[in-house]
Amino acid sequence: MSAVAGAISLTSRFTTGLLNRPVWFLWLVLLLCFWVAAWAGAVPVTADDWRVLWRHEEPLTSGAYVLWSLRLPRILFAALVGAVLGLSGALTQGLFRNPLADPGLLGVTSGAACAAALTIVVLAGSGIDIPIAWRFWVLPLTAFAGAVGVCLLLDTVARWLTADSIAGLLLTGIALNALAAAIIGLCTYLATDEQLRSLTFWTLGSLAGGSWPLVGTLSVLLLAAIWYVRRLVSAMNALALGEAAAAHVGINVRHLRRRVIILVALLSGFAVAWCGVIGFIGLVAPHIVRLVVGPDQRRMAPLAMLVGAIILLVADTTARTVAIPAEIPVGIFTALLGAPFFLVLLTSVRKGG
Amino acid sequence: MSFLNMSQDDLATTAARRTFLLQAGALAASVCLPQTLWAADKKSARRIVSIGGALTEIIYALGASQELAGVDTTSLYPEAATKLPSVGYARTLSSEGILALAPNHVIATEDAGPPAVLRQISAAGVPVTILAANDKFEGVLDRVARLGILIDRPTQAAQLVEKMKADWQRAREPILARKSPAPRVLFILSHSPGQVMVGGKGSSAEAMLHYVGAQNAVQGFDGFKPLTPEAVIAAQPDVVLFTDQGLSIVGGIDGVLKLPGVAQTPAGQKRRVASLEAMFMLGFGPRMPQALIALDNALLKVMST
Amino acid sequence: MIHTVQSHSMLSLDRVTVKLGQRTFGPFSFAIQPGERVAVLGPSGAGKSTLLKLLARELSPASGHAGFCQQPLQGWSLADLSRRRAILPQSHEVAFGLPVDLVIGLGRVSRMHDPSLASIVQQAAEQACAAHLLGRRFDTLSGGEKARVQMARVFAQLWDVEQGLLLVDEPLAALDPGLQFSLMEAIYTFAAKRGHAILAILHDINQALQGFERLIFIKHGAMVGDYQTPHVTLPLLEALYDVNLACAVTEEGEMIVAPSLQRKVVAEC
Repeated sequence: MSAVAGAISLTSRFTTGLLNRPVWFLWLVLLLCFWVAAWAGAVPVTADDWRVLWRHEEPLTSGAYVLWSLRLPRILFAALVGAVLGLSGALTQGLFRNPLADPGLLGVTSGAACAAALTIVVLAGSGIDIPIAWRFWVLPLTAFAGAVGVCLLLDTVARWLTADSIAGLLLTGIALNALAAAIIGLCTYLATDEQLRSLTFWTLGSLAGGSWPLVGTLSVLLLAAIWYVRRLVSAMNALALGEAAAAHVGINVRHLRRRVIILVALLSGFAVAWCGVIGFIGLVAPHIVRLVVGPDQRRMAPLAMLVGAIILLVADTTARTVAIPAEIPVGIFTALLGAPFFLVLLTSVRKGG
Repeated sequence: MSFLNMSQDDLATTAARRTFLLQAGALAASVCLPQTLWAADKKSARRIVSIGGALTEIIYALGASQELAGVDTTSLYPEAATKLPSVGYARTLSSEGILALAPNHVIATEDAGPPAVLRQISAAGVPVTILAANDKFEGVLDRVARLGILIDRPTQAAQLVEKMKADWQRAREPILARKSPAPRVLFILSHSPGQVMVGGKGSSAEAMLHYVGAQNAVQGFDGFKPLTPEAVIAAQPDVVLFTDQGLSIVGGIDGVLKLPGVAQTPAGQKRRVASLEAMFMLGFGPRMPQALIALDNALLKVMST
Repeated sequence: MIHTVQSHSMLSLDRVTVKLGQRTFGPFSFAIQPGERVAVLGPSGAGKSTLLKLLARELSPASGHAGFCQQPLQGWSLADLSRRRAILPQSHEVAFGLPVDLVIGLGRVSRMHDPSLASIVQQAAEQACAAHLLGRRFDTLSGGEKARVQMARVFAQLWDVEQGLLLVDEPLAALDPGLQFSLMEAIYTFAAKRGHAILAILHDINQALQGFERLIFIKHGAMVGDYQTPHVTLPLLEALYDVNLACAVTEEGEMIVAPSLQRKVVAEC
């Protein structure tokens, strides 16, 4: 259905992971979610309206317009962002050898939030006149730059302080996150009322901005990431042996670490920049997958993408339909839907041994 | 009720391009408008979505309430407005939700967002007008006049402006004539028990205090900032002013006295706590003259104790 | 006493020192030939593990020259190196509870194309007495089972390699004697068949005396001895550990030593 599926090559073990059994089930669930999500919404859509997919008749009916311009790009964007967050989470947990890690530990969220806060408060306060056409792009672009910048800074600082230790990376990450939180706090303090509201909105997370250009960009980014990750996942498995043993079996932990960090920074940095902070998926999607298919990154990473896509799609569809014509922040539902499901799965796996 | 009951032909004939107003410069609007039914012509009934409590109040005051198709969560007055479809919190609007109300005009304060949603709505051919506000009485009058033009009620708007000016005059006269020293007032805003903010320089609360001839006890910072006990004691307020909502959140007058520092101020020692409903006091809508009188009375009452 | 460095040896250290914090270890000078079995003995904290880390390339030499297969050790890429030498670690933990098959297969992760992976994993597991553990999760295994799986991983790593190097860091210290014996036998068989050299850090003097042809003594961070096993005498061992040792000789002529409270219980061996 999505652009993700079409372009995946079947040559590598990573991508064939997408076609094993639980995967068929998850693809089916995802398609079902797409189906429901495309029909659900404030504006009723008729079967006729679906013709908009292959023929743009002028004038469009309201249903066709909503379907084509608002709903379809949004649900595709939701699924893509979910996939990106799931993959980022899987990679981060593998890197830290810790199932409780999430991309936030690498400074993605705090970096983006910090940059957004600085943009909203300092840039707006400095009186620099930004052309109207640019204003819409300034916040996402600076947030993206902030996410990637903080991740790279973290890697560099950690390497300088504690050369090859991932524990050192974790500790440096905690320190850097605290620093970013302090800067955000300072911006919050300096912010005017209006700036404060922009800031809080941004931290709530929303997929309302989903559009065809964004869907296209994120698809390309995700496909490139999938292609790149194929070569990393086996090495990520070796990290589970510990850093020293991973080096003994021929893995350059340093290079691997930097690659993973850059990948996670680009992927989730993009998601955070355009959607604000959407928590929980990066943590719980890989976790759910690990409970079901085990911890092998080669199988886990693609499934974490699917599960992330499903969770976010369901959460976003709920968020935009339960209070029609209003909308509820999606972050509320990722946790509200994901957490109980996760707990049920956890108990059933424990019982089943 | 919905445009979906219209026939396809109606939709085609009513489709027309229309420019939309985007003020306050928050949005980039370079989208080509598609020809959809939202781009209604002037003959069809006007359907307005109003985002902002003050705007909704003005629309009611102009007698255009039957044209309201939806309002946001801050539109709490008059009570009839709360019966209208709610498009939710002004900063987390839903483009589809608003379009489903088949509006042909969205009027919003600069708080409305996210920007992407406003872009989507105007891209669908529904004009989005942002009416910026300031915390001045003249700003409110200006808003009324502009809104009157927007919804084709310039005469009613002019009348309302005149009435508001007269009311304002009446409210301000005793204040200006008064010789007693201006009371020092500390305005406290509380959204939750753990989050207590104080209105500093340039805050909306300060604007109201100035109109009522009172002095904002806090001068050290701009806007709303978290309360610190030392700042409260240093401010030495004669009165502590709350919104009704905030007062109940902190637990009434007894709760106020438990806030750090308040008990050590003249206001705390004499239990001088006043409160008014939030949208009434700080809404900067058509009820502003009445709000001024109410605030003046409330302050006079507590100062006399 | 100290061997001269031979240019054609598999592993050669020439006056290598290594720094760990404030402490300097070394100089170490010795060479290991293909197929040789060398044990490193010394009291705790003497620098045995540091030496192993140096050879494993976790630490870089501060001075001197370390060579592996006629090339500087530092010049090897980690991937190439991993196809010539394997390390059996002291700790066995693996995160996330990976399946045993995958853990064993990870020994061969640096090979881009590895068509015989599945059969090698199977055979390596058999050789390490771990075939019955295939299909289980690593984190459900007992300590001894984990040791076997790690050993199978190391076997898989050097399965189709000739004249490689096996570095062993007291992996069996916590296991019962029977298991220790059978696993050491498995290592000897595996290495002998392929001409792999073994360099093992050991706590058990008897294991060293019985299974290894050469012993390197390390004390106070420096190398204090390098002997062919038959030349090792009780006083040398006593000096190394600063304890009194008692000694017995088995019917096969193997020397067995044990710490003793009394001095010189048994006559000179």
